[in-house]
Formats: sequence, C-alpha cells, structure tokens
Amino acid sequence: MPDVTPLPAATPIRMGSNAGQPRTRADGLLKVTGRATYAADNHPAGMAQAVLVTAAIARGRVTAMNVEAARAHPGVVEVYTPANRPELALEPDAKPSFFSKLTETLQDDTVRYEGQPIALVVAETLEAATEAARLLAPQYAAETARVGFDLAPYAPESVGFGFPIEMSKGDIAAGLSEAASTTETVVETPPQYHNAMETHAIVAEWKDGKLYLDTPTQAPGMSAAGFAAWLGLDPADVVIRSPFLGGGFGSKAAVVGAFLLAIQAAKLLDRPVKLALARHQMFGHVFHRGATRQTIKLGMDAEGRLTAIDHHTTAVTAAFEEFIEGASGAARTTYAAPAIRASHDGVRNDVGVPGAMRAPGEASGSAALEIAADVAAEAAGLDPLEFRLRNYAETDPMSGLPYSSKALRECYAEGAREFGWAGRPLAPRQMTDDAGMLVGWGVGTATFPCPMFGAEARATLRADGTAVIETALIDMGQGSWTAMAQIAADSLGLDVEQVEIRGGVSDLPDSGVAGGSGYTATLGLAIDNAGGDTIRQLAEIASSDPDSPLHGTGNTRVVARGGRLYAQDDESRSESYADILARAGRETLSGEGKGARGENDANDHSFQSHGAVFAEVKVDPDLGQVRVTRLVGAFAAGRIINPRMVESQLSGGMIWGISFALHEGAEMDPRTGRILNRDFGEYHVSVNSDAPSVKVLTIPEEDAFVNPLGVKGVGEIGVTGTAGAIANAIWHATGKRVTSYPIRLEELLDL
Amino acid sequence: MSAWHRPASLTEAIGLLAEGGVVAAGCTDLFPATRRQALSGPVIDLTRVAEMRGISETRGGWRFGAAVRWSEVLSAALPPAFDGLKAAAREVGSVQIQNAGTLGGNLCNASPAADGVPGLLTLEAEVELAGPAGMRRLPLAAFLAGARRTALAPGEVLVAIHVPSHAAAGRGAFLKLGARRYLVISIAMVAARLVVKGGRIDRAAVAVGACGPVASRLPALEAALAGIAPEDAAAAVSEALVAPALAPIGDVRGDAEYRGVVAVELVRRALRGLAAEGMR
Ligand SMILES: Cc1cc2nc3c(=O)[nH]c(=O)nc-3n(C[C@H](O)[C@H](O)[C@H](O)COP(=O)(O)OP(=O)(O)OC[C@H]3O[C@@H](n4cnc5c(N)ncnc54)[C@H](O)[C@@H]3O)c2cc1C
Repeated sequence: MPDVTPLPAATPIRMGSNAGQPRTRADGLLKVTGRATYAADNHPAGMAQAVLVTAAIARGRVTAMNVEAARAHPGVVEVYTPANRPELALEPDAKPSFFSKLTETLQDDTVRYEGQPIALVVAETLEAATEAARLLAPQYAAETARVGFDLAPYAPESVGFGFPIEMSKGDIAAGLSEAASTTETVVETPPQYHNAMETHAIVAEWKDGKLYLDTPTQAPGMSAAGFAAWLGLDPADVVIRSPFLGGGFGSKAAVVGAFLLAIQAAKLLDRPVKLALARHQMFGHVFHRGATRQTIKLGMDAEGRLTAIDHHTTAVTAAFEEFIEGASGAARTTYAAPAIRASHDGVRNDVGVPGAMRAPGEASGSAALEIAADVAAEAAGLDPLEFRLRNYAETDPMSGLPYSSKALRECYAEGAREFGWAGRPLAPRQMTDDAGMLVGWGVGTATFPCPMFGAEARATLRADGTAVIETALIDMGQGSWTAMAQIAADSLGLDVEQVEIRGGVSDLPDSGVAGGSGYTATLGLAIDNAGGDTIRQLAEIASSDPDSPLHGTGNTRVVARGGRLYAQDDESRSESYADILARAGRETLSGEGKGARGENDANDHSFQSHGAVFAEVKVDPDLGQVRVTRLVGAFAAGRIINPRMVESQLSGGMIWGISFALHEGAEMDPRTGRILNRDFGEYHVSVNSDAPSVKVLTIPEEDAFVNPLGVKGVGEIGVTGTAGAIANAIWHATGKRVTSYPIRLEELLDL
Repeated sequence: MSAWHRPASLTEAIGLLAEGGVVAAGCTDLFPATRRQALSGPVIDLTRVAEMRGISETRGGWRFGAAVRWSEVLSAALPPAFDGLKAAAREVGSVQIQNAGTLGGNLCNASPAADGVPGLLTLEAEVELAGPAGMRRLPLAAFLAGARRTALAPGEVLVAIHVPSHAAAGRGAFLKLGARRYLVISIAMVAARLVVKGGRIDRAAVAVGACGPVASRLPALEAALAGIAPEDAAAAVSEALVAPALAPIGDVRGDAEYRGVVAVELVRRALRGLAAEGMR
C-alpha cells in the first residue's frame, strides 16, 4: 500500500498499482526452461543415492531381510535396518511440533501399513541402490489387516488439527422431530493419496557443523525446527533450501521418517545423501486424505427451511496414530439452522497416517453435505439453488458471529447467470442431447475458512532506490512469488520490477506455512508491514532532514509512489528514495514486518471464503459413462492480488473436484490391506479432456476485517462444492442418487 | 548395466537372442513391468531390425513390421478396413506412448486390455515368427495363448503381422471404453469390420477385448449378421450372441457384470457407426 498512514480497521483498502494486475508468473521462464531447481535436482559432490525399502504387507512383522546380499552388491555403501538404525535425539515417536505425526525411522520390525519404511539402502548410484533394495527380499509374518468402516468406532481426541470431535448448538432432537420432513443421506468418500508431480525428496549434506537440506517444504521454519528437534541440533544449524515445490497440497509440511533416515545416513557416511520417493511410495508414508462415511440428517419446515442439521462422520485413521478428516465441519459453516451438530468418530485401519490434503475436512464434508442438501431440496420440491438461498446463513451458522464479508448470494446469482441455470427442470431425467446422452445440472456451495498463521519478512531499500524482500518464501506452483512481489511493490511504492524477492531458504525470516489457504494473507501482510515499516523510516529521515523538500512533514503525512515520497497535502513537495538515502549516507534501509491475525479479531467475526459451483454432466445411458461438460464456479474471496494466479488456483481446485467426484480413490484389497492402484495407470486423476470447460468468476468482495490486506485465500475452496455439484448433476441427468465417491460407471448402469 | 544391442537385421537379432537376453521394442510395457532397476541380461532392441520396420502392401495383402509404432499406423495410407486399427492407434496411451510403442510389443505383451488386438483379429491377422528353428506363421488368435501368454518359443521373435487381402476389404471401426476420457486402460473395447455387397452384409468380423483373458471374435454374431442390411446390424445384436465369447472378470476398473453389459452396447454402437459411415 502506498499509504503509510496506519488505517483504521474498517477503512477499505485501496488497490495499489501492482496488486490486482494479472501478472504472469515471476518464475514462469525458469520453469519452462527447466532452470527452476527442485530438491532432487541438487547433486553436491560426493553424493550417495539412497533408496527407501517399504513394506509389502499392511500389518505384521519383518522376519528377515537378506542384508548380506544387499551389502555385497557392487556399489552399495550401507544398508540400514532396525538392527543398525541410526540413533535419534528424540524418540522416533516424539512429536516435536503441533503438526507432527508419528513416523517410522526403523524403530523396530513391526509393519503398521503397506508402504512403511523398513530399510534404507545407500549406494554410489541409484541403480545399485535399487538393485540392492530388491536383493533385501524382506520376509514377513503377516497379520490380518484391518480395512474399511465396519470396525468398532472409537472417540478420537480431536479432529483435523485440534478441533473438538463434536460441536453443536440448539436442540437437534427437537429440530428433527418437529420438522415437516426429514432426510437421511449416507455418503462415503474413499482414501485419496497425495500425488504431487514432485514426489517427496531430500538431499542432505552436513558441512561445517551445519545441516543443509534441499527438500520441498510448505513451512521452511517449522520444518527446520522439526528436523533440529529430532536430530538434537540448534534450529539455526539446519538450513533448508526449498525455493520451488512441485506441489505440496498439505503433504509437505511435517517431517517424515524417511527424511530423517537420509539425513542420518549422510551424517554417518560423512557424505551428501539423496533420497527421492518412487511414485508408488507416495501411497502410505507421506499422508493421505482418510476415507469417511458420513451420515447427514436434515430436518425442514414446510417451506424447506432447515430446522436441524445433524452431520456425523466416521473417519478412517491409522491403527497407531490419529488424524480425523473433519468432514462434519461443513455442517458448521455452510447453511443456517437453529440446531446443528457436527460430530465425528474414528475407526482404525492398517493404513499410513492420514493428514491434510487440499481442503482437509471441507472437501470430503462438502462432497457429502451438498448431496444431502440436494436430497432435501428434492424432498421439499424446491430447485436446489432456491433451497440453498432459503437456508442462506446471514451469520456464522454455529457461532452466530457476523461474517467479515460474505458475497455468497452474489456468487449464486452470477454463477447461475453465467451457467444458464434458469429454466432448469425440477425433475431429474428431463434433458438429453442430440446424441441421446442424459444431461443434468447440479449446484454445490463452496466454503473454506480464512486462517492466518504467523509469518515474518524484511524489506530493504537499496541506494539505487530498488528494494529486496527477504523471507523464506516458497512457491509450490500457486504463484506466491508473483503475488508477494506485487504486494511488496505496493507496500514500497515501487514497480514490481524494482523489487527483488529473496526467499526459499529457511535462514531468512520465517515465512510461516503455505497452507490452510492462508499464505497470501499471512505472509502478504508480513511483507506489507515490512514495506510499510521501511517507508515509515524513510519518511522520518526525509522529514528530519532540513535539506529535503519533505522536511517537517512527519512520517504520517507522506505518500510513497513510484520510488518517491510525496507530501500528502502538497504533491509538489517530493523526493526520490535514492536521493533521501544518499543524503543520509545510507547504503540500505531495512524494515521488518509480521503477519498474523489480530488478537481479538476472531472473537468479532467469522472469516470464510465462499463460492457456488454449477456443473453440467452428460451421462451415457447405456454405458454409465459420465462426462463433465461444463463447470462454472463463482467465488468471493476478498481482495484478489493476482487474478491470473487466482483463476488458476480456483479452476485447478475445481478440476480436483472432478477427480474427487469421478476418478480418484485408492482401492484397498480387503483381504490384505494393500492398495491395488499405487500408480498413475490405475489411480486416476482427471486428464485435460475430462475438463473441457471450466469457467471461474471472481465476485468482488471488500473485507475490512479479515486482515488489513482484505485477502481471504483461494488455494483450497475450489475443491469444495465441485464434487457435490457433479454428483447432483448426475442425479439430475439420471434420477439415480449415487452416494459413494468416486462415482463409478457401473453404478449408473440400468438407467 | 548390461549390453544394449541394436541389431540391424533379423539374422543378427536371432543370433544375439540365442545367447540369451531380453527383447525390447518401444519399452512402454517392458519398463513399467520391470521391478528391478536394470533388465536382466543383455537387451536386444528390435526397433532397428530392417525386417521389422515399415508398413507395405504385398502380393498377399498388407504387412506391418513388428516394430511399427502406433503413430506410424496412424499416418499410413491404408484402406478403410484398417479404420478400426487406426482408431485404436489413436487411443493407445498418449501421443508420447504412440510415438514409442509398437504393434509387436502390444501383441507380445499379450495384455487382455491390449487395444491393438481386437482390430487385428477382425482383420484376420497372421503373425510371422522367426527363431532358431526358422520361420513360421500363425493366426493371431492362436498366437495369443492367454493373459500375458503367447505362442513364442524361446529365442523366437515376432517379425511381422500380415493382413490377407481378402480381409483388407470393407470398413473397420473401434470403440474403447475407459473411466476417464484419455490415457486410460480399457474397461472394454470392440472392433468391427463389415464388407457390404449389394446393400447386404457380405462378411462381418467383430471382436471384443478386455472382457476375458484374450480378446475374442464373436462367431455367432458374425453369422447372424451375414446377409442382413448394415442398418439392421445393430438391432441384430443380442446378449445371447455376444456373451458366450466373453469371460470378463471384475477388477479396479470395472466389475464383471458391467463389462458383459457394456460389451454388447459397444458392439451395437460400432455396427451402427459403420452403417452410418457406409451410407455417406
Ligand atoms: C502410460 C502408458 C499408457 C498405455 N496405454 C495403453 C493403452 O491405452 N492401450 C494399450 O493397448 N496399451 C497401452 N500401453 C501399453 C503399451 O504402450 C503398448 O502395449 C505398446 O504397444 C507396447 O509396445 P512396445 O514397443 O513399447 O513394447 P515393449 O515394452 O518394448 O515390449 C513389450 C513386450 O513384448 C516383447 N516384445 C516386443 N517386441 C517383440 C517382438 N518383436 N518379438 C518378441 N517379443 C517382443 C518385449 O520383450 C516385452 O516383453 C500403455 C503404456 C504406458 C506406459
């Protein structure tokens, strides 16, 4: 922001000249020319190659491994198994941070899930390590694996990251018993596994008493602290370089055991070690979205107004550790009702620990709740959009707090207009196309919270009037580098080309967590504050300098624009940054800033992004084949820093929603607990031609309360709403209500 | 890594193979199927063997070298009887896969879901094999011995695929069903070829893939189609005429019952499509 006057909280923020522009990616050229280095691209001199050996059973013990054969293979440097596992400073089961989960570092011979690390082979070449890993030929004593929902449920400690397992308001029993009609919908969502293009990778090097790690992380500061805790190091001695991530989606924040093994191998062998997971190793050790079975009971009055929302989720978690997909949270945030209950229990399967995966909780929850809402609309004889409008939450459904902003009504209206929703036949199976395909339209409500974590940044003006921003910024493909530079430029009154971003290394100011859709808001605010702090200091220098045209203005009565400070009330009085610095004899001038939610803000408002997704599907009546022919998503997410990046985040999220609805899901073999489709041949995600037309509208929304930038976040909301909209469109096309994701062709047969 | 041989002639290839090793063509099946980092033994890459390259019209019909890539099939000038094979070529994996993967690899890999097989079955294809014991020819149906099993003897390679002239007649079609739009392993696929004379079907060849250990022709249906008008062909298709030739299983891609049902529908559509093409 060019205006250095601290703004009172409720004053709308003016757009700067950089923010709001659809700039192309700052890192685009590097990426398309292959010069953007990812973790596994680093090959320090003397580097050895590690291969992780993972369990081929879901539960039991490793009884034998042919370590001699592996060691004897030419080129093999060392083989680590529980027998010679490197010691850790902390117990392997310690959880040094709030986001940590139990992990495996060869602590013993038990196998708790397929894909668990059971050995690490280090060799001169990847080929030798791979072959030695094969020669290990582990033998197992397998026990019966626990798979599926039909096991004794238990009451978990918490849901997601620390939410209570049950939240409620009002009298659910009364809301249901006094309702004019009630519906009950049971929806199942499958386990979905993290499969960013870049698999998890690390290059570890110990040098001059420090540990250097090239590894993708969504939270460099937190990761460095985590590694340091396990290894007994001072966090300052762990330097993580993570300029680019080939996708993170929640899987690349917490420390995983495989990385600790590679780091320790590097120490014991006194040479750099590289480990990159193979694609099939992404299915187990590095978190996934746990399966859910959700039961949603809705009560309505005669007009279709909800009297009760009772949303219960049974979530599958690991047998040895807990992460509960907080799917019922959707009931707390989507529709208004006098009585709401969002409850969870868990069942334990022999699977790796679930964790955050793009829109954790909300994605699965909305996929179910939106079907339930459609079932209710059908029962009430209402158009699904009208049903949603009748149950519009004017205030936060659970807390009753006012929203900091909420343009969902506009999203419904604009999305419906763009899609051409008007005139949609109420009954299903009314529309066909020329080829005899059944055509259906569906809608889903999208919503996602706007959390802020903590972040820090430093801004430095240089003698030539340009600036550098320093923070451990990571870009995982979402365009953060680009957007942060725009925010930085505005805060410094410079053009984006004049601002250098120095990031990607954990020894810079802590950039916080690129997660929870809160990165632009949090780190953006830190950068904005750092820029503001710098300009304030610069104004002080100018104001107190009798030779400056700005002498006596004071630091609150200047405006920073185009590399100059101007007196607010007299634009003829101005001076360039370079001149001010030169006269003060300063080579540089630095300011610092933090980004976090104001302490009491969360007590005053509810912060949510919103959207409405409209889907058209065509279903082949004889083959059950579904094609999503059109998607329109209208989203209101506060201030948009870069419309191009935002559109890409939102459309990418919606395409993820297509995968959720129709393709994605791990198939567990019920007899063995093994995953049958641990590769891209069989674990399907949408291809381009599955998403022929995806249109994104952003609805202007000014938010004076969410944070001083007015930014809400767009990274995850696109997934929510979309899967449900597609499922509902399939019902509208066929009259068949499929409530198990992904929706398979054979379920739509016999139409 | 062990040696990687690129023989230029068939004699050379067979000589090398006599000493043992792995046969490779485009490697699009071979590499994913290899669990180890390196292939065991020397590799004999057949893609430069002169006898295995190119598509040509011969006195007896058409000859496809075993190392012909799917993209070459697509760009070759072939009679309409090969339209089904071309349609399959377009749907094998992605363009990158089509640029590397070969016809021979598709057949020798012998996947139940090999997209090339049904079309070649309807073209009455024969395979030419060569090995230490010399050359031999087999009908494709006899070559495919089961799921991932062929009639190849040790040391033997597939040299070429022959389509006799009598089968290069009429028009062919191919339909593939997968869960997503592209880059997908078939749940079921169908190839059909109709020869029409005087407004009547003179000869029909129909084959279904991915609905049994090997793709198979549908003799009962073919017999029923002979003599009727092409526009009546789709209506003549019934489950009774299709099902006996199939032995579908259930797997992650689709269940057995579903495969049985959609195979019938895909046959109908292929025939309907051919009838429409013929009338234009
Ligand atoms: C991403 C991807 C997608 C795919 N999609 C499809 C698809 O949609 N449909 C489909 O049908 N297939 C698909 N495939 C499989 C594969 O691409 C095809 O089967 C292809 O035609 C194989 O040819 P190739 O030359 O690559 O065979 P290779 O992998 O080189 O060989 C396959 C096998 O045949 C043997 N072999 C090869 N040539 C000969 C010969 N002349 N004589 C004797 N033995 C021989 C090899 O030893 C090996 O065992 C896909 C593969 C990938 C990787």
